[in-house]
Amino acid sequence: MTSIAVEHGERRNPLAAVWSFVKRHVLVAYSVLFFAYLLLPIAVVIVFSFNNPPGKFNYTWNSFTWDNWRYWNGVPGIQSAVVLSLEIALIASLIATALGTLIALALVRYSFRGRASTNILIFLPLSTPEIVLGASLLTLFLHTTAVTFGFETILIAHIMFCISFAVVTVKARLVGFDRHLEEAAMDLGANEWRTFQKVTLPLIAPAILAALLLCFAISIDDFVVTYFNSGSSVTFPLFVWGAARIGAPPQVNVIGTAIFVIALTAMLVNVLVQMRRSKGAT
Amino acid sequence: MNVFHRHQGATPYLLLLPGVLFLSVFFVVPLGFLAYQSLESGNIDFGYAFTWQWSNYWDAIQNYRGEFIRSIEYAAIATFFALVASYPVAYWIAFRGGRWKNLLLLFIVAPFFVTYLIRTLAWETILSDHGFVVRTLQTLHLLGSNGRLLATGTAVVAGITYNFLPFMALPLYVSLEQIDARMIEAAEDLYASKWHAFWRVTFPLSLPGVVAGTLLTFIPAAGDFINAQLLGGPQNHMIGNVIQSKFLELTDYPAAAAMSFILMAGILVFVFLYARLVGTEQLTGTAA
Amino acid sequence: MTDQLTRRQLLERAAVGGAAITFPGILAACGSSGSKASGGTTSVEQKLAKTLNFSNWTLYIDVDNKTKSHPSLDAFKKKTGTDVNYVEDINDNASFFGKIQGPLSRGQSINRDIIVLTDNDRYLGLMLRKGWAEKLDKAAIPNIKNLAPVQRHPNFDPNRDYTLPWQSGMTGIAYNDTLTDPVLNVTDLLENPKLKGKITVLNSMGDAMTIVMLANGDDPTKVTDKAWNDAFNRIKKAVDNKQIRQFTGNDYAPPLARGDLAAAMSWSGDIAQIGNKHIHWNVPTQGGALWTDNMLIPKGGNVYTASVYMNYVYDPKVQGLMEAGDPKRNITGIYYIPPVIGAKAWALKFNPAIANNPLIFPSSETLSKVKIFDNAALNNQKYLTQWQNLISG
Repeated sequence: MTSIAVEHGERRNPLAAVWSFVKRHVLVAYSVLFFAYLLLPIAVVIVFSFNNPPGKFNYTWNSFTWDNWRYWNGVPGIQSAVVLSLEIALIASLIATALGTLIALALVRYSFRGRASTNILIFLPLSTPEIVLGASLLTLFLHTTAVTFGFETILIAHIMFCISFAVVTVKARLVGFDRHLEEAAMDLGANEWRTFQKVTLPLIAPAILAALLLCFAISIDDFVVTYFNSGSSVTFPLFVWGAARIGAPPQVNVIGTAIFVIALTAMLVNVLVQMRRSKGAT
Repeated sequence: MNVFHRHQGATPYLLLLPGVLFLSVFFVVPLGFLAYQSLESGNIDFGYAFTWQWSNYWDAIQNYRGEFIRSIEYAAIATFFALVASYPVAYWIAFRGGRWKNLLLLFIVAPFFVTYLIRTLAWETILSDHGFVVRTLQTLHLLGSNGRLLATGTAVVAGITYNFLPFMALPLYVSLEQIDARMIEAAEDLYASKWHAFWRVTFPLSLPGVVAGTLLTFIPAAGDFINAQLLGGPQNHMIGNVIQSKFLELTDYPAAAAMSFILMAGILVFVFLYARLVGTEQLTGTAA
Repeated sequence: MTDQLTRRQLLERAAVGGAAITFPGILAACGSSGSKASGGTTSVEQKLAKTLNFSNWTLYIDVDNKTKSHPSLDAFKKKTGTDVNYVEDINDNASFFGKIQGPLSRGQSINRDIIVLTDNDRYLGLMLRKGWAEKLDKAAIPNIKNLAPVQRHPNFDPNRDYTLPWQSGMTGIAYNDTLTDPVLNVTDLLENPKLKGKITVLNSMGDAMTIVMLANGDDPTKVTDKAWNDAFNRIKKAVDNKQIRQFTGNDYAPPLARGDLAAAMSWSGDIAQIGNKHIHWNVPTQGGALWTDNMLIPKGGNVYTASVYMNYVYDPKVQGLMEAGDPKRNITGIYYIPPVIGAKAWALKFNPAIANNPLIFPSSETLSKVKIFDNAALNNQKYLTQWQNLISG
């Protein structure tokens, strides 16, 4: 607060005070609305996970039941599908983010031959329609016996289309990065690797986390490319699309809700741990 | 401020190697197969042969011009709304999120944990003709008494916007979070108006995030097919739907391949023009 | 009993028309039973494999609600020692074909012994024409004599050398009685202004065109250009004046259940599953469509084991239980139309309610009103492109 603002404040009338209150909180209010909008379908999904469907279709509310949660893996195949999806999403997002971060570093910090082509290479997977992407990748896999259809091929496919997202996300951070901090560290005697470890990495950590989250979300939701390259393995989206033909069972809602809640809890624990740590520090 | 390393040696190439190698094998090679296929002719019964069939491309542009244009249109509108909607929230999380930042980020990607089909069905329930939303809009005369939201172009664009929000919000956040709050304070001192300070200092500093988010949203949205399939009527279909049908129903693999390349080329042109507009620094890091 | 069967056979034959009444068909009906293996198969491994890889559509087999296993598959294992690796990864003919044509066109196996494709889509016939299906070992399928007569000589596989029906269903019109008066024919569906924007048509060419052609008085089992154009233009008009809200797959079910749709061209099985007593399904007055999901052995599959399984499934007792389930043992059945004669008698023992359900065991009168689309038309590239442009652009 500068002195000018304080002087102005003393001369304000009540209307301006209200306006100032609104201005200060409009951002919060908007954000709350935004999240409400974002999570509205999730709310519907959660509600319907407690529904006892009238027939095989879970589209109209019938009556409340705990059964879907009690017998969450009561639909044959759903458990293995979820486990497979989670495994792949986790591994794919880690690898894609790692590879993507390296590429982003190279693209932003270095001038080298092939920079423009690399940029194009990064944008191309984003612009390729999923169906031809999936089918062409399948063609590649058919030319070799080195991979088995199922976990391996799905994982490769997911890493492939996630790398671009990771690169672009981390790049957004690196582009505005203040290099003076690194220079200062190096002036103080740290070598390149140590600087990277202790200065750069922590500062781009939010971008890496964001890239991880994005890749995880994309991977766990992918259908078309996975479908072509899954062999006879079934991931969660594949399961849902298949089941929806006859009527996706409420357990699908349960699983979706559960994944969300588990991730939420993990994040919450993370926050609490950090709070405890900072309390300890002071 | 970005400064190039003076003694870079092989470092950039080493950094690039794993990722680019992976993409070369698992993306470029398949793309090669696709390119080969785009110049084939034939049908599923008697097989396909490579015949330098450039007419695949020409026919695609002629016959499906409308769908190409509509796809760009829908994607652009959706990207715009995604940007306008996500920016304030990304700002709020970056500057006011405190230790809850990561949690809030999780909320943004939460919808993806529930498969696309399920969350779209949930939206269909919410936007139902007899639902709360439509009835309210009808009372406010924003919608005709017989009007509906589902199976329209509006629903398709709304669906695309919603499903790509995280792609816009996360890069925005990443870029905003980096901005030193003291810079904004200083700007406010200088300009004496929060709005001015934002527009002159904060927004330009967040431009890399804006560019990243715009690209991550627009590019995949242009090729999307699923929103149009479930939320649109027969008049709302996008080029993604046509490519889908060429491939699956008509087993016309050469046509599907050619259309995909036209789409990719179109998108690259847009990216190039966009880079010109915002300045390549934001796109690639520094003046090349 | 035999008399009844023969009469029923002839009735059904006469009724379905077109595809069914062929000279060999009539011969067969007059003869003692259906097709037999004509001169044995060439050297086929007569040893049962340890595992049978069976790809099928979702929720298309009996389920024990408690253990979540499939009783018929467990019984098969007990009987023969072969474990069935049952994967529900088919949810759409086009996408499944799109996926398997890659390996099959390169002469590679897709690691399946049995897959299931629908006959009113082009892909079933395509698999056969491209030589991507193995010939059945009919010597191992004596129960083929239980195949319903109307199914014995489809035009894509006249001697049932490669395929055997799994289940059938009918396509008709469903309507919501709280939103509209009964919608019982195509004229109402496509041209009643009160239903504007509140109806959907199936995106499946075989289903939609069959129904509209029948409404025009044309024969969908032998499609002519004129019949095609008349039906196509009728649907196109309904698209242009916004009568048709959307072209759907089975995603008509949610809006129908919710009341966003007054009527929908739909499949018989789905409607029973909606569980809403205001939604009624009927075969359109001028006729509906019949579709059958067929089992076939993709190239590279184990012919003998697959054939033995098919024989097992054509045992009326097995089929009866699979079809109707058994509420006493908490088993849910398939609830579509079985292709096996004699299944109804067994179904009556297990689950009389289902056995008497006219959608699952339709009367011959109902069966006489549903037709199978002309297979040649399903592969006519001109028709296909026209249709795709209509529904997709």
